[in-house]
Amino acid sequence: MRVFKILALFMAIALLLISSPDFISAQDEDAEYDDAAYEALLEKGKEYYNARCEACHGADGDGKGFVDIIRVSEKNGRVLEIYPRDFTVGVYKFRSTATGCLPDDKDLMGTVKRGITKSLMPPQDNISSEETEAVVEYVKSFSERYEEEDPCDQISVADPPVWVASEKSIEKGKKIYKDMKCWECHGDLGKGDGPKSNDITDDWGKRLLPFNFVTGELKRGSTAENVYMTFTAGLDGTGMPSYQDTLNEEDRWHLVSYTLKLMGLTESDKKTASH
Amino acid sequence: MHSRFYLSLLLISSLVLMMFIGMGVYREMTSEWKTYQTEYKNMLVRNAEDDAARKRAEKLEIGLRQNYVASLNKSDRCMSCHIGVENPYMAKADQPFTLHSGDYIENHPVDKFGCTICHYGQGRATNKKEAHGKGHTHWDYPIIPTKYIQSACAKCHDYKMLQEEGAELVVKGEKLFREKGCRGCHKLNGVGGDLGKALDGIGSKPRAYYAMKHVVGEHTAYNWIKQHFDDPRAIVPTSEMRVFMEEDESDLLTTYIFSIREEEMPSKYRFLKNIVTPPRDGESLYKMFCVACHGSGKISVYDEIFDRTIPAITNPPFLRSADNKTIKNIVMEGRGGTQMTSWKTTASGLKEEDVDKIVEYVASSRTYERPEPFNYLEFQTNIDSGMRLYNNRCSYCHGKEGKGGNRQLGINLKNSTVQQVLDPEFLALTIRDGREGTPMPSFGGDGLGLSDQNIADVVAYVKTFGKKK
Repeated sequence: MRVFKILALFMAIALLLISSPDFISAQDEDAEYDDAAYEALLEKGKEYYNARCEACHGADGDGKGFVDIIRVSEKNGRVLEIYPRDFTVGVYKFRSTATGCLPDDKDLMGTVKRGITKSLMPPQDNISSEETEAVVEYVKSFSERYEEEDPCDQISVADPPVWVASEKSIEKGKKIYKDMKCWECHGDLGKGDGPKSNDITDDWGKRLLPFNFVTGELKRGSTAENVYMTFTAGLDGTGMPSYQDTLNEEDRWHLVSYTLKLMGLTESDKKTASH
Repeated sequence: MHSRFYLSLLLISSLVLMMFIGMGVYREMTSEWKTYQTEYKNMLVRNAEDDAARKRAEKLEIGLRQNYVASLNKSDRCMSCHIGVENPYMAKADQPFTLHSGDYIENHPVDKFGCTICHYGQGRATNKKEAHGKGHTHWDYPIIPTKYIQSACAKCHDYKMLQEEGAELVVKGEKLFREKGCRGCHKLNGVGGDLGKALDGIGSKPRAYYAMKHVVGEHTAYNWIKQHFDDPRAIVPTSEMRVFMEEDESDLLTTYIFSIREEEMPSKYRFLKNIVTPPRDGESLYKMFCVACHGSGKISVYDEIFDRTIPAITNPPFLRSADNKTIKNIVMEGRGGTQMTSWKTTASGLKEEDVDKIVEYVASSRTYERPEPFNYLEFQTNIDSGMRLYNNRCSYCHGKEGKGGNRQLGINLKNSTVQQVLDPEFLALTIRDGREGTPMPSFGGDGLGLSDQNIADVVAYVKTFGKKK
């Protein structure tokens, strides 16, 4: 009986020790295990990055790869100069988070997978979700921002209201386009030729040309939701601000309608195009 | 019964006939030219300075005026309305009475030249609409808008005279035509590229030659050409024409285009004392045939019209690895599967000596720096390893099949020029050293870290694209 009592006591002490938050050595082991997994992930990401991304974004993620500037001549002869993103700064255009925030991992993964074909960033068709995660983790590791900040919550986008791209909504959007001075950069007809279009630089002083809607193709994808997200989240680092605080949701959707019209993507545009 | 029916039928049809005759007479009496001539006559009488002049004016016969020029086979009735065209007193009068502008009429008297030989329009017509041939009159050669009228001068005059004696617009247009590289795609007199239509006699094409669907305003050849210069894809949605206009350039070029005509003037009308042949040095030839796509050739651009990269060809990094023979080979063979057509004499009409001049010009900014040689033949190549490397490192720009374009930055590798004409050493050098000024990165040891063996493997794999699988 006594032996049992002593055993029980030991057991109780052991249980106490294990369950106590001060059971430091065990926690250390856990963290070490995580670190190793993270390192392995980074290593995998680096391998993929060096094969597929380094040529443009540079070995150090500073956007200074061997490919250098990519020039795209639009159909109207306007030449865009595209600089690969500098990952060390940690500022991204295509986010689903509020302006000034780090992007959500899903945003980065989406961009990696989809590519940005309009800027000649190739899509990665055969990338596995594991590889995507790894390469995104590796890309994040270039910027100190990720050590200092946590990503914000994603902005949720409801399904577009049924009246989006309707005539009435387009009219309202047109007025907002005028009142909010979108035309100053994007021009009256959305051709990217507004009066200020030649004086815009990005946050790093490189010349930017405002988007030409007539091309009908947005870099992040051309659905109503994508356009809405651009108005809501803004394109950080460029001259395109967020309208989350300056326009209410309804007005942003009206603006989406007008933008789709300028892009030639409304239902009636598609009908005339097929004729 | 029957006779009454026929009687009334006769009566009614006679009335209808009378009505038609009446209408004809009325139209003749009130025809445009008659109204104008009466007005002109009254003007002369009113403004006569003395009795003799008034008497002369009162004697002015009102009637259709026709001017027949046998040697040009033109009979023009324009002066039936434009009756004051040779009358110096009409300098300030309104149309249609006004004196012809400038001193053209002194050197081109109406009785020797007529009107339509320069202005076009329908000379025999007797009303404005049909004479000017505008709108839906189905006349193929409507009157030329004044801003393009100098195109007519070039039918008879040499360019030196045009420049010096008041037809400088068509001279500027011709210069633009050469310097914008129009013949890179369009043949003229059998010399030029193949992407666009040949331009021989383009200024004499009938209306039916043009698809007018998207032309804004009047459906004339003039509007088609002008609007097509301003925005080719607004007029022909599938057009690949790569031309970007500044200010009045499209007007100048339109003027020149309408001077390229089929009809030849009788020799006594022609005034070709000082035929100036345009310069044919390397730079001029480069502009004429290459500049529309390659521009200065210093930088590469991905072109959204061609949907592929147009490579830099005059930048020193390209010239370092490509010797003149390689460049000439590329020019002569073209690049299949791309917009770069062959410039052999049989394909382009361009003489080989001209190609040599172009190559020399392209190579003129070559520096003496030579690349470290790449002895391709020393390597035992492994195509499988090359394929793995290619798929991992090259395919996302050049495509799995090496076709490039279509939103991929890389150029087309799957054509006979790359496959058969270019040396493997040249390809290996390009991969190893990359091309500064273009998106092609350096994959060698100092760049993205491939070994020479790796590079040789990739070249060996790329060289299999030409083989049928």
